[in-house]
Amino acid sequence: MVYRFEIFLVLFLCVFSTKLYAQERVYSAFEQYVVNRSDALVQEIDFKKAQSFFLEKEWDSTLLYTSKVLTLENSDTALTNFSHFLRGYSFKQQGVFNEAKSEFLKIKENFDFALHVQIFLGEIALEQSLYNEALEYLKRIETVPDEKLLGLRRSNIEANIGLCYLHLDEYDKADAYLQRNLAFLEAEKDTLGLIGAYGNLATNYDYKDLFDKTIFYYQKAYDLSTYTDAYALKADASFNMYQIEKYLNNPEKAYQYIEEFNIAKDSLNSQNEVARVLQLEKQIVVEQKQKEVSLLEAENKVKEAQKNGLMLSSVILLLLLGTGVYFYREKVKSNKIISAQKEDLDELNATKDKLFSIVSHDLRSSVHALKSSNTELVDNLEAKNLEKVNTLLHANSSIVNGAYNLLDNLLNWALLQTKQSYFEVGELRLFFIVEQVAHNYKALLQEKNIHFENTVPKKDKVFADQESLKIILRNIIDNAIKFSNAEGAIKIYTEHTKEGFCDLVIEDTGLGMSEATRQNLLQETIVTSEKENKDIIGSGLGMQLCKSMIKKNNGTFFIESTLGKGTKMIVSLSKIPPDGYY
Amino acid sequence: MDTINVLIIEDTPAQSDRIVKTLEENNFSVVGVATSLKEALSLFYGSGKIDIVIIDIFLNGVPDGIAFAETINAVPNASKPFVFLTSSTDRQIFQRAKLTQPFSYLMKPFNELELLYAIEMAVEKFYAQQDVFLGDEEDTVISDEYLFIKKGKSLKKVRITDIIYIEVEEKYCNIITEKEKFVILISLTKILKLLDNNNFYRTHRNYIANLEKVEEIILADNLIILSGNHKVTLSDTYKDIVKRMRTLR
Repeated sequence: MVYRFEIFLVLFLCVFSTKLYAQERVYSAFEQYVVNRSDALVQEIDFKKAQSFFLEKEWDSTLLYTSKVLTLENSDTALTNFSHFLRGYSFKQQGVFNEAKSEFLKIKENFDFALHVQIFLGEIALEQSLYNEALEYLKRIETVPDEKLLGLRRSNIEANIGLCYLHLDEYDKADAYLQRNLAFLEAEKDTLGLIGAYGNLATNYDYKDLFDKTIFYYQKAYDLSTYTDAYALKADASFNMYQIEKYLNNPEKAYQYIEEFNIAKDSLNSQNEVARVLQLEKQIVVEQKQKEVSLLEAENKVKEAQKNGLMLSSVILLLLLGTGVYFYREKVKSNKIISAQKEDLDELNATKDKLFSIVSHDLRSSVHALKSSNTELVDNLEAKNLEKVNTLLHANSSIVNGAYNLLDNLLNWALLQTKQSYFEVGELRLFFIVEQVAHNYKALLQEKNIHFENTVPKKDKVFADQESLKIILRNIIDNAIKFSNAEGAIKIYTEHTKEGFCDLVIEDTGLGMSEATRQNLLQETIVTSEKENKDIIGSGLGMQLCKSMIKKNNGTFFIESTLGKGTKMIVSLSKIPPDGYY
Repeated sequence: MDTINVLIIEDTPAQSDRIVKTLEENNFSVVGVATSLKEALSLFYGSGKIDIVIIDIFLNGVPDGIAFAETINAVPNASKPFVFLTSSTDRQIFQRAKLTQPFSYLMKPFNELELLYAIEMAVEKFYAQQDVFLGDEEDTVISDEYLFIKKGKSLKKVRITDIIYIEVEEKYCNIITEKEKFVILISLTKILKLLDNNNFYRTHRNYIANLEKVEEIILADNLIILSGNHKVTLSDTYKDIVKRMRTLR
């Protein structure tokens, strides 16, 4: 019977310690003191962690971080003391009493919670049934005033002192302490505490063999226990009542109590069971959630990867599209250029073909004329008709001259096109160039009785290539003679109408030309095939050559003409040396 | 006045005959017609009195004409003015020919005027007195040895050492030699610059005398008697001539 009561007492102690924390997140007075007094030490990160784990009641973690704090060589006594204190408390909470004791004993002097250390050591001694030692520790509370308790509950300690006395068979002393505790608890209206206290008192009275009082307090404990849901207490109380009824030889009542005891025990078990099942279920739910979370995470990862892949491929596609479009446009552009060039080339080729046919036709007729003339010559020579021979020779000579000029133009044209000709711009006196070119036409001019006049001043100088200027003049003078009637006049003179240029004017009193022909002549790369005078042959090559060469000499060409009255061919040449001329 | 001596280097007789005819019609003396490089060189250095050379670039199909020009140009003081004659329009030949400065050319076919013009241009370029014959202001190119004077369409030359004195009249100069007396168009400053001033000395605002020809200086009368009994005035400004004469004797 006594033995059973002892178990009960120990149980009671445990209830005391955990009850204070378990209810809410509000820290107990003791914990608040711990926080306050250790605030100065939380700069040490490991200690801060240990402290927070202590408040969370994570004893293992508290032990881990305090050991970390202690392994660092630290001269701060407050820090080491506090660490040992937290370690001792954690060990005590885990029921490792010897370790707890040694930790508490390592704490040096001048520690804020020195009293706690004593009280905790006393509780450990009590747990280890070292009642005298426990009394020694616990009794120290009696000399301490209330304000220095730092969260310790005097009544609890007094109850423990009472228990020590109980175990040491000093029942009167035990009675005194237990009654005091009881009075305190009754004032506090702490039902659970009261049940324990009533039990303790009953046990004490049992030892003192005060049977009535024993029954009275057990009865009181039992009555109170019926109001609570604490099955463990209920079971103990009803079991104690069963023992008493058994002892009083009241089998019915005993049976009733044992029934209640069993119910309470079952309830306790089922409560534990339910708690465990709940725990398991919770665990499973948590696991499932965890699984779901990891699944979702994986899904997210996959989605992210897909998104990235999509982005990358779209960028690549866009780039490809861009380059494709670029190259396509380039191709279109070059195609355009090529087709434009092709058109140009076709036109040029057509021009060339036309030129060929005209030139060959002209040459053919010239040669044909010569051929027939030669036959006539031979006949006349045989007949010794020398006068006729003379005229025929003159006629032949003019035919050959015409053909020669045509061939010369053709050669110069070819050289110009292939850029093979020698071309060097120099300072030239126009008068002499005109004289030199006109020299070749003296006979022709005389023959047609055309009055020729070169009134270019000797001082007029231009910058041009001598040979190409001669070709230009040759063609213009040739045309002027060709389109002049007998007794006409050709005048060559200069004008200075434009800044930096000298205009060389070749004026004739010849046939002139229509506006259409004039425009036609000034146009580029067109071979004039229409002839206003069918007797006068010409391919238009000469004019074309003139225009190209004037252009090459950085000059300009202009025609003024009145049909039937005459033509002015105006060649403007630069008086200013070209860039790079020395 | 002497005629200009011309050497023709041309392998086509038809061409050379035409040139010879044209030149002789215009009072040039044709010293010879060479048909090969070797012949040309022996004629050029052998005769020693060539004034100008007309060179066909292609001799028997090779550009020996250019080789000739390069050869005579190699001896600077012995070189003479020359004209390239060419029907070629090949740029490369022209580029090579152009390196034989001073470069003058005549394109075939050419007429009388073009030939004469080319000769004048060659002389002007060679003696670095360009734009003399074509303008109205001047008609004489001066070399170390001769005065080249344009007479009508032709060119004439006068040996400088034959000049006794020069009388300046505005932009004209009367040249008096032992045999003749003629007028040229040249500015006084230019003639003074170009004549060798060791031999020619200004005696008066209007007179330049050849010191070689001085016979007697009559200071009292401000008069210089030159050979051939020519007299020039000696003005006070130019009486330094006496010192020059002493140093010479």
